[in-house]
Amino acid sequence: MSDNLERLIGNVALGDRKAFSALYDATCTKLFGVALRILNDRASAEDALQETYMKVWRHADRYAANGLSPMTWLITIARNTAIDRLRRVQSAEDVDAMAERLSDKGPSPEQAVVARSEAGRIARCLDELDPKHAAAVRWAYLDGLSYADLARKLDTPLNTIRTWLRRALLSLQECMSR
Amino acid sequence: MSAETHDQYNAGEYVLRLLDPAEEAAFERAMRADPSLQSEVATWLRGLEHLNISFSEESVRRSVKTQLMERLFQERSVRAAFWSRLWVWRGITLTALILAAVIGYRSFPGPATPPGSAVFISEIVAEDESLRLLAAYDPSVGGLRITRTAGSAPPGRVLELWAIVGDAAPVSLGLLPSSAKTTLPLPEAFRRATGLILAVSEEPPGGSPTGAPTGAVLAIGEAVDL
Repeated sequence: MSDNLERLIGNVALGDRKAFSALYDATCTKLFGVALRILNDRASAEDALQETYMKVWRHADRYAANGLSPMTWLITIARNTAIDRLRRVQSAEDVDAMAERLSDKGPSPEQAVVARSEAGRIARCLDELDPKHAAAVRWAYLDGLSYADLARKLDTPLNTIRTWLRRALLSLQECMSR
Repeated sequence: MSAETHDQYNAGEYVLRLLDPAEEAAFERAMRADPSLQSEVATWLRGLEHLNISFSEESVRRSVKTQLMERLFQERSVRAAFWSRLWVWRGITLTALILAAVIGYRSFPGPATPPGSAVFISEIVAEDESLRLLAAYDPSVGGLRITRTAGSAPPGRVLELWAIVGDAAPVSLGLLPSSAKTTLPLPEAFRRATGLILAVSEEPPGGSPTGAPTGAVLAIGEAVDL
């Protein structure tokens, strides 16, 4: 699956529309799930999905160097596109620019393979966190909540949230690098 | 961007999208100057990727893909190809006259033809002439009589004929069989040569899945009155 997606993205980078169509067919339900979860509205999620694939078409040539698995790369674009839409930030260039910069400096393929085999660590590392902190990380990642959103949701001052979540992220980072 | 600012936000916050727009912009400026931050962002994305299993798969309406493909490819594929092939037109009028004899539409019923249903013809040719078709509108059957005189569909693909008028989206007229000659019904809206463009694209077996050309546009031709 992953090898096949990599091959398709490689062909899309060369302007192969059939590969683009096949890549869409293979991944659209997952990426739509991402957009729908974050936007919680079918029409907006459909727009976000189209925007996501337009970025994929334009940036496929930058995939090879970024060291992410194809699905992670695609989901990152879908997630950022949906969050931008959610926040009504009309600066698509920023997300484009992020996709671009990600490709600038990535790990070697060997490092990427190692990293992928260890990806499951996040679950264990989240378990090591205070449950409230782990929940906040999930809300941010899966639902696109910002510090400001979390502050409202938890009825806690933003700076307080920021302080404990930054500490939680440092623990998480430390755990994942073990 | 000072080292102090780097410390102000970490890559995890950025990847999680916790920051407000101004802070995101500041982090991105810092990231541009500091390759180690770019690595950290990639590391966070890989670290968090296991959470992706929590995103469920959701079925997408077919029209979303159709619209996407139109937004991405329609203009560039058909129209740009069309305008870049202006030179083909120059030979068309003369060719059309020569073809008159070949296809024999002179024998189409003249006086019985309903008003507004003039005979017209189009030579649909690839830029390198590897594919060439002649299409003649026959008012007596309300269809295009098509003769393929050169080329064929790529292996595993089929040829699909499209009608284009002005800025409207291409409309499929149907698939071309492997035989050299066929007649395809022509919708009322396209029964005038004025502004009518015919194009042939290569598509998966069964034709374009989207309702718009998805494969390469192989050949294109303008309709001309006889």
